[in-house]
Amino acid sequence: MKAIRKQRLATVFLILTTSALGSFLIIRALDSNLDFFFTPSELFLENIPNNKRIKVGGMVLDGSVTRDKTNISFVITDYEGSINVEFDGIVPDLFKEGSGVVVLGYLKDKTVIAEDVLAKHDENYMPPSIDIKN
Amino acid sequence: MTIIIRFIIVSTTLAFFSFFYFYINEDKYYPGADFTISEMPNFKLKDLYSERLFKIEDLEGTFLINVWASWCITCRVEHNFLTKLDSKNIPIIGLNYKDEEKDAISWINRFGDPYKFIIHDYKGELALDLGVTGAPETFLLNDGKIIAHYRGEVNDMIWEDVFKPIIKKENLFNVN
Amino acid sequence: MLIEIAHFLSIVATGLFFLCFIFSIFFDSKDVYIINLVSRIYSHSFFIFLSSFLIYVWLAINDNFSVLYIAQHSNINLPVFYKISSIWSAHEGSMFLWIIFLTTWGVVYNFSTKNDQLLKARTLGIISLTSVGFLLFLLLTSNPFETILPLPPENGADINPVLQDPLLAIHPPMLYLGYVGFVIAFGQAIAFMLEGDPKIKWEKQVRSWSVASWSFLTLGIALGSWWAYYELGWGGYWFWDPVENVALMPWLAATAFIHSLSASSKSSILRIWTLLLSILVFSLSLFGAFIVRSGIIDSVHSFANDPERGLYLLSFIGILVMTSLLLFSLRFNLLISSKKIVSLSKESFISINNIFFGALIFSTMLGVLYPLIYEFIFDQKISVGAPFYNAIFVPVTLIACIFLYFSIDSKWQQSFNLKALYQPLFLSIIFSVIIVSLIFFQFSISGFWTLMSLTVGLIIIIRYLIVIYFYFAYKRFANFFSIISHCGLGLLIISIALNDNLSSERALNIKINETEIYKDHKITFTNLRVVPESNYDSVKADFLVTNPNGDTFTLTPEKRKYFARGQVTSETAIHASVLKDIYMTIGDQLDDGSWIVNIQFNIFIRWIWFSAIMMVVAGLLLVHSLARSKA
Repeated sequence: MKAIRKQRLATVFLILTTSALGSFLIIRALDSNLDFFFTPSELFLENIPNNKRIKVGGMVLDGSVTRDKTNISFVITDYEGSINVEFDGIVPDLFKEGSGVVVLGYLKDKTVIAEDVLAKHDENYMPPSIDIKN
Repeated sequence: MTIIIRFIIVSTTLAFFSFFYFYINEDKYYPGADFTISEMPNFKLKDLYSERLFKIEDLEGTFLINVWASWCITCRVEHNFLTKLDSKNIPIIGLNYKDEEKDAISWINRFGDPYKFIIHDYKGELALDLGVTGAPETFLLNDGKIIAHYRGEVNDMIWEDVFKPIIKKENLFNVN
Repeated sequence: MLIEIAHFLSIVATGLFFLCFIFSIFFDSKDVYIINLVSRIYSHSFFIFLSSFLIYVWLAINDNFSVLYIAQHSNINLPVFYKISSIWSAHEGSMFLWIIFLTTWGVVYNFSTKNDQLLKARTLGIISLTSVGFLLFLLLTSNPFETILPLPPENGADINPVLQDPLLAIHPPMLYLGYVGFVIAFGQAIAFMLEGDPKIKWEKQVRSWSVASWSFLTLGIALGSWWAYYELGWGGYWFWDPVENVALMPWLAATAFIHSLSASSKSSILRIWTLLLSILVFSLSLFGAFIVRSGIIDSVHSFANDPERGLYLLSFIGILVMTSLLLFSLRFNLLISSKKIVSLSKESFISINNIFFGALIFSTMLGVLYPLIYEFIFDQKISVGAPFYNAIFVPVTLIACIFLYFSIDSKWQQSFNLKALYQPLFLSIIFSVIIVSLIFFQFSISGFWTLMSLTVGLIIIIRYLIVIYFYFAYKRFANFFSIISHCGLGLLIISIALNDNLSSERALNIKINETEIYKDHKITFTNLRVVPESNYDSVKADFLVTNPNGDTFTLTPEKRKYFARGQVTSETAIHASVLKDIYMTIGDQLDDGSWIVNIQFNIFIRWIWFSAIMMVVAGLLLVHSLARSKA
C-alpha cells in the first residue's frame, strides 16, 4: 500500500509542478503574441513601437485609394482620426471606399505597413435571415 | 481531499459558464448590428409609384430606412413588425432593392404599406453605397447621419435590444 | 399539411425520448424487462424522428416554400443535391441534422448491443436525455417547421453561391457525425458512474464507436481545411480562427481519449483518465456547438443568433457538464485502481501523452477565450493569432512525438527492453539526419524548428518502416493501425514544416500578352474573356505557365459577379502536382489596363490532407477489425 501511495503522491506532485510550469510558459507565450486592435484615433493616443503587430480597423476614406502597380495605399478613418495604410498585394473583393476594413501590420512613422487586409464581412459570411436576389 | 476536488470542479465550471452568461448579456452582442456613424450617401432615385425623384434633401429628421424586396422571404415576416412600428408613428422610408416595379407594387398591395414613401432602387446603387449586402436591412438616421445599421429581420427583440438603447440615448422619436 | 405532420412527429419523438430517459433512470436499469422496454421505445422514437426528417427532406426536394426555412435557403433552380444540402446551410436545419445524427448513433448502439449488457438501458437513457435537450432547443428556439402562410412565395431565396460547393456540402455532416458520436462513450461513462460497479468494463464497449467518430471528425476537419484552401483565395489551410479552434479541441480530446481507451480496455489502468476524457470530449463538442451558434464569435461559420439561443445552449451544456463532473467526483474513489502503472510501459507513455494533449487543449481554449475575457475586463479589443498557437503547438507536438518514438517499443504493463532499442534507434536517427542534411543542402532550408520538425517526422516514419520490415522478415508483431496513423502524423509534421518554409507568393502587375518570371517559371497573360453564366458573369483571365522543364499548362483564375446583389467572388486557379500547387488569383484592374494578379507556390500542401486521410483510414480499419473480432 505504501508504495502505491508514494507513487500517487509523486504523480500528483509531478502533475502540479508541470502544470504550473506549463501554464506559466503558455501565458507568457500568450502575452508576447497578442495583437491589439485600435481605431485610427486610438492609434496616436498610445505609443506603439515599430515591432509590435497591431490591427487597425475603420472605414476606407472616400477618395483615398491610390494604386501603384501591386502596391495600394489608402486611409482608414473613424471620422475622428485617420491613418495611412500601405499594402502590397491583392485586397479582398469586399474592399472598397466607404466600406469597413481591418488591417494587420506594423506601424512605421505615421503609416501602417499592412501584411493582411480584411474587409468587413470578408469571408462571404451571410447572416441567415438575409435573402439574396435570385 | 475529495471534497477539495469537488469544490474545484464546481467552482471552475461555474466560473467558466457564468463568464459566458455575463458576456452574452452585454449589449454589444448582436453580430448583425453596426453602430459606426457615417454620412448618408447622396442619391437621386425614383419614387416607386411615380416619376418623382428623391434626393438626399428629401430626407429630414429622424427616421428608419428599411431595405426590402418582393423576392425577399424574410421581409414578409418582418412586415408585421414594421406595420406595428408605423402605427406607433415611427417614420419608415422604404428602399425597394433590385426589384421589378410591378412586383414591388403588388407586394405592397397584398401585404400593406408601412412606409412614408418608397424609393425604387432598381439597380441597387444607393444600397451599394450604404453597404447593403442583402435584405432585409434597416438603418436608423438622425440629422443626416446613419447611427445604426442592422442586417437581418427586425422584430420585437431586435428593436428592444439593438434600436431602443440608442433611441433612448439620443432621445429620438420623443421616447416611445 | 406535410410540414405539420413532420412537426408533430418531432414533438412525439421528443416525448418518447424523454420517456426512455425516465424508464432508464427511475427503474431498475439492470432488469432485462426494463432494458428491453427502453431499447424498444428508443428505436420507435428514433424512427418517428427520422420520418419527421425525411418528410422535411422531401419538402425541400419538392420546393415547398410554405416552409419558412426552406424558402429562405433553397430555390427552384438549385440542383437536387444542393436543395438537400441547403437544409444544413443555416442554424435551424443544421441543428435538425445534428440531432438526427445524435439519435442515429444511439440507434446503432441500440442494435449492436445485446440486451444483457448491464449498462445498456442507462446509456440509452443518457443519449435520450441529450437528444431531448437539443430537441427542446430546436422546437422552442430554432424551429425549422415554421411556415409562411397564408401566402407562400412562389420561389425561395437563393442560397449564398459560395455554399453551392460539393465539399462544403459534405463538410458539416462529416463533422457532426464525428462530434455527436462521442455521445455513446459519454452515455456509457455516465451509466458506469451511476452504476458504481468498478468491475464493469465499459471501455471495451465504446471503443469502436469512439474510433469511428474520431475518424469522421478528422475527415470533417480535413475537408473544411481543404475547402478553405481553394475557396478563400489566401492559399492557407488553417487559420486558427476561433471556430476552427473549437473544432480542434474536441479532436485533440478525442485523440487522447481513444489512446487512453486502448489502455483501459485492456486492463484497469488509466481508467480515471479515460472516464474524464470521455466527459471532456463530449463537453468540448457541445461547447463548440454553443460558441458557433451563439453569435459570440463573428466568423465564417457563425450563425448569427440571438442571446436567447445562446443562453439556452449555455445552460443546457453547463448543467450537463457540471452534473457529469460532480458524478465523477462522487465515484472517484471507486476507480482508483490498485494497479500501479509500470514505468516505461505503454500505459505510462499514454498517460504522458494525455498530459501533452491536455496542455494543447488548455492553450487552445485560452487562445479562444482570452480576447473575450480581455475585452470584457479592459474594454480593449485584442486578437490571438497564429504566432501564439505556433509557439505552443510546435514545441509540444515535437516533444510529444519524441515520446511517441520511444513508445513504439513499449509493452503493455511491462517495462521495455532498452537493449532491443539500440539498433532501430541508431538506424532511424542516422537515416533521418542524413535525409535532413540532404534536404538542408539541396533546398537550403534553415530554421531550427523546421529542421527539428523534419527530423522528428522522419525518425518516426523510418522507425515504423523498420517495424514493417521486421514484420515481413521475422514475423515480429506490428500494429498496423498504429503504424498508418502515426506515419500519417509524421508526414503531417513534415508537410507542414516544408510547406511553411518553402512556400512563397508574389503579387504581379501584368498586362495582356506580357510575361513575368517567378521562381524560374514563365507566366504569360494570354487572354481575358467575359463569360456570362446562368446566375453570374465571369471575367476569366488565362495564363500560360511554363515550368523550368518546358512543360506548359494554363491557369484561369476568375472573378465572378453574381446578379444576386452584385456579390463578387474570386475563383482561384490551381495546378496541383505531387510536390506543389501553383495557385493563382486575380485582383483588380488598374487604370492603365493592367491587372494585379497573385501567384503562390504552395509546396507539399497536398500531403497535409493526405496525412489526415491516412489517419482516417487507420481509424476505419481499426473499427472494422474490432467489429470482426466481436462477431
